[in-house]
Amino acid sequence: MVKRLIQSEYLVLLLSAVYFAALAPFTPGFASTGNLANILSSMLPLLVVAMGQTFVLIAGGIDLSVTSTIALASVVGASVATGDQGILSGNSLATPGGILAMLLVGATVGSFNGAAITRFRMPPFIVTLTTMIFVSGFAVWLTQSKSIFNLPTTFTILGSNVWVALPLVAVATLVMHFALSRTLLGHWIYAIGHNKNAAEISGVPVRRVLLFTYIASGLCAAAASILYTGRLESASPVMGRNILLDLIGATVIGGTSLYGGKGKILWTVYGVLFLALIDNSLNLLNLSYFTIMMAKGAVIVMAATIDSVRNKLLNS
Amino acid sequence: MSSSPRILEFDSVEKSFFGVKVLKAVTFDLRTGTAIGLVGENGAGKSTLMNILGGIHTPDAGYIRMEGEPYAPRNPQDAARAGVAFIHQELNLFSNLTIAENIFITTFPRVAGLPMIARKTVRERARSLLDQVGLSVNPNTRVESLSAGERQLVEIAKALSLDARIIIFDEPTSSLTALETDRLFELISTLRARGISMIYISHALSDVMKLCDDIVVLRDGEVVGKSRTAETSTAKLISLMVGRSIDQLYPERTGRPAAERALSVRNLSQPGIVRNIAFDLHDQEILGISGLMGSGRSELARILFGLDPFETGEVLLWGENLPKPSPRQCVRMGMAFLTENRREEGLCMEASIAENMALVSLPNFANRGGYWIDHGRLSKSLTALRGAVRLTRSARLSQAVRTLSGGNQQKVVLAKWLLNRPRVFILDEPTRGIDVGAKYEVYSLINKLASDGAAVLIISSEIEELIGMCDQILVMRNGEIADTIRRPDFDRERILRGALKQSHTTRTSPVETARHDPESR
Amino acid sequence: MPHAQFMKRLLPIPISITLASLFVAMWTAGCGSNSPTTQEASGQGEKQLTVGVAFETLQTEYWVAGFEAIKEQLAKRNIKVLEAIANSDSNRQFEQIQTFVTRGVDGIIMVPKDAKTCIPSIRAANSAGIPIVLFNRPAGESDAKSVAVQADNFKLSKETVAFMIEQARKTGTKHKAMVIMGDLGDINAIGRRDGFDAAVKGNEDLIEVVSRVPSEWNQEKAQAGVVNALQAHPDISFIFTSSDFLFPSIVSAMKTAGKYKKIGEPGHVILGGFDGDATAYQMMKDGYLDATGVQDVYFEAEATVQALLDLRGGKDVPTLIQDPGFVIHQGNMDEMTPKMWGANIRK
Repeated sequence: MVKRLIQSEYLVLLLSAVYFAALAPFTPGFASTGNLANILSSMLPLLVVAMGQTFVLIAGGIDLSVTSTIALASVVGASVATGDQGILSGNSLATPGGILAMLLVGATVGSFNGAAITRFRMPPFIVTLTTMIFVSGFAVWLTQSKSIFNLPTTFTILGSNVWVALPLVAVATLVMHFALSRTLLGHWIYAIGHNKNAAEISGVPVRRVLLFTYIASGLCAAAASILYTGRLESASPVMGRNILLDLIGATVIGGTSLYGGKGKILWTVYGVLFLALIDNSLNLLNLSYFTIMMAKGAVIVMAATIDSVRNKLLNS
Repeated sequence: MSSSPRILEFDSVEKSFFGVKVLKAVTFDLRTGTAIGLVGENGAGKSTLMNILGGIHTPDAGYIRMEGEPYAPRNPQDAARAGVAFIHQELNLFSNLTIAENIFITTFPRVAGLPMIARKTVRERARSLLDQVGLSVNPNTRVESLSAGERQLVEIAKALSLDARIIIFDEPTSSLTALETDRLFELISTLRARGISMIYISHALSDVMKLCDDIVVLRDGEVVGKSRTAETSTAKLISLMVGRSIDQLYPERTGRPAAERALSVRNLSQPGIVRNIAFDLHDQEILGISGLMGSGRSELARILFGLDPFETGEVLLWGENLPKPSPRQCVRMGMAFLTENRREEGLCMEASIAENMALVSLPNFANRGGYWIDHGRLSKSLTALRGAVRLTRSARLSQAVRTLSGGNQQKVVLAKWLLNRPRVFILDEPTRGIDVGAKYEVYSLINKLASDGAAVLIISSEIEELIGMCDQILVMRNGEIADTIRRPDFDRERILRGALKQSHTTRTSPVETARHDPESR
Repeated sequence: MPHAQFMKRLLPIPISITLASLFVAMWTAGCGSNSPTTQEASGQGEKQLTVGVAFETLQTEYWVAGFEAIKEQLAKRNIKVLEAIANSDSNRQFEQIQTFVTRGVDGIIMVPKDAKTCIPSIRAANSAGIPIVLFNRPAGESDAKSVAVQADNFKLSKETVAFMIEQARKTGTKHKAMVIMGDLGDINAIGRRDGFDAAVKGNEDLIEVVSRVPSEWNQEKAQAGVVNALQAHPDISFIFTSSDFLFPSIVSAMKTAGKYKKIGEPGHVILGGFDGDATAYQMMKDGYLDATGVQDVYFEAEATVQALLDLRGGKDVPTLIQDPGFVIHQGNMDEMTPKMWGANIRK
């Protein structure tokens, strides 16, 4: 029974439900509609970045640069769209222009990562770590570490109103889910994650597929940046700096393997949900930031343990 | 010899897993200072028996006695303490550590009373152990720079460091060159003379015949044959193993090479790797390449498939020049490449059988434009395919490839290529590490491919296999083709001579020089 | 197969981890909810108020002192406190304020990350009808309504620098001056810089500003900047820093240059700061520091809590309540020390 449960791919979803049910009676406001909307609104941007990360992780890579991509996209997009001397200030194209600029930032950073990793065969960890440091420095330098405000409402509503963002993110989730599970590209991503050499010998265009995963991750980071920026109605060069743990944590809790070849978009959804629940409930219980960090760290280690136990069970 | 005492006795050992009896009343003895050959097909129960000996499993019934005393190890540490050591097929060394560190990984000599490693003692003891196994390499060399044969010697040195009295070899020669095999056999004789006993497990029956005093044949968990080596023959052993008599090891060829050239290679050179390679491979032809490890045979295959570059020369596929082939282009043009390294380059071990089988041909199952995979059509093809390669019936297509035996894994690799209907096959060691029955099936499959019109290039270190299968054999040495032999002139001696001449007197690879330099780390 | 046995031994580990962490979670949760219940029981029948206190960071002594002072004020009025520290992450701070709103607190006290990112948070409080007071950092202009309590950076630094100039004039010589500025994205830093400039204006005969070091509120940058400035102008004899928390860097740079001397010793550099932290107190006690502008944390904390209660009571509250602060120097040290927060934390 325990074995069946641990092996189930719905384990995390189930844990989320149990956790919610267990804490709801003791935690004031946990189950209120307003709070559920809060959970959703903190889930959505994280989910968007995590989905891109899932692609990269399944292909056997890692993208640490997403946090700084979020920051750079945020300030670049805002400097296009802002009413304070923005490039398209006051123009009706300010919002679409800003969004386009943000996605462009994401695609550029992703292409750079992908190119460095595939062309020069550098390890993803080093490449994306370096990119993270560079891009984050660039974002601060660009803005002289100032935040940018006065964004058009058409722009900020994407992040500030859950009911606008939800359908968009839901569609993106479905698209990415099917891209991974049903298309040629998806199968290739898994194969590369399992064994890059075997995939290459089998005629898989390994470089192109890897490049794609990093661009996808960059685009997802940029899309998440739209949500984060909208939510705070301002762009900041340090935006997203603290989400790396949540991000990797959520994907790992979901069950995506850091060694590649294993993972699903739906698992990542569960992982993000679980993490958001924990975060929110601990906040409601009035635990300090540091206690919450400790609790989250423990949960992620636990998830990794369960994952390795699960692998051993499947192997025996 | 016959009078030497028994060091180990298996008495009616039985074992079941999930209600299936995998060992039935296994009874035999090992005498001190002798080697016993344990042969049988995959799944015959050899590994289970050895796992019992190694303390990983406990028998359901029966006894093992060591020197007359009951022996019932509860874990691998117990077994090691009792002097039982294993030399595995997949070597268990840490390639990033040095030889000395590997040897003493569990029993580092300490500075008296301190939790510190006595470096000098480690070095000296490692030196003396390496001398005993005849390995003249600095103990501080990292294992990653050693050849497979040298690694094996390190494993044996490690066993000696634990005062092993019984050493179990599991397919020790499957990744060794002919020279290394000879060295290993010499060492085994020396160890025997010192009173160490061996259990030798191998599919290479000729090795077993050469090396062992007694041979025990297991089939379906039962001992079906037990005899002195002098009193049996390879043919007898095979028929005991498979349970029926096999008239020949290699199936009859039907068809002859056609006139059409499928793959032509002209003056192909890549400095330091291959030089002036030229040959034609015709439709319906099976062409063999023989040569020692490092002679450039596998490297040539990688160049032909576009995995490695070449500097000069031409590669033509059906008359079309491929100036810079890539694996992707080769796959598209109908080439297949089964690499010598099944685990690292052939299969996604953690992925399912179905995913592996589909990998090469996936684009053929994607809808035009949409890239949407047609899973219905795919699974129909896969079901047909598993029959064609005679994959074991007990396997589910959704099961991880890792769980299959070597023979079945190789069938999956073949199947993944067959699905793409290639016309040129490059097969590097197609039967490495698979048992006799499965070998025969692989050979039949290759024959069928050739008679159906495909051109096949086989690279193998088993000379008998090439002689049994090919229309023509190229012998490679130092990156060049040293000899070309047509079927009527096939001769084991001539092939060996071509492969060996001068090979270790004049040539020292840069790797070797670096390795013997004590300063290089 | 070997894994099967291995597993039997291993399986209890994750289970025990799970149980242990659940236990810890419940225990902490229990503590979190228990203590207020006991407080509630001791309440005098009237409904106890709950106030959420959200600080951007607790990384400097000043914020810790402010945090403690506010909690003390709330405790004095038997108000239950919910705490939240955002660790310099405005996104997290937004979520924390949302959580306060969800829990239906009676008021929110907040130190925002910056003037603008807090606006969605204030708006969330506004729409739930929860009064919100910003401690030490006012919000930028917007439709969101909040009250802020803040030190009068301009006035206080001007007074401090004016006192320093008075000391300078007593020496009878001209002085070359250096000012260490904060992060100019921070309104407090701008106020202090302007205060410095205003005090120097009209005294150009005495004070020549030769070096303006941008620190961006960063110790390393301050240190490097001061080292460079002292190299370029070895005769600097007048230094004002926009915050006391940079003193460790400044003092180390001065020591290297051999310029860290007590008041009265030859070669003493006239030294002034802002904040009134523990380092400054120690330096003053040891006779190195001439003056520092002290933010009256106790006044600010009380004003903050009072403003919050007034807002609840429907009273009119000005949108900006200013803390005049005071200049502490060698002359009034004994008298003012009890009001200097920095003197009270090093115990």
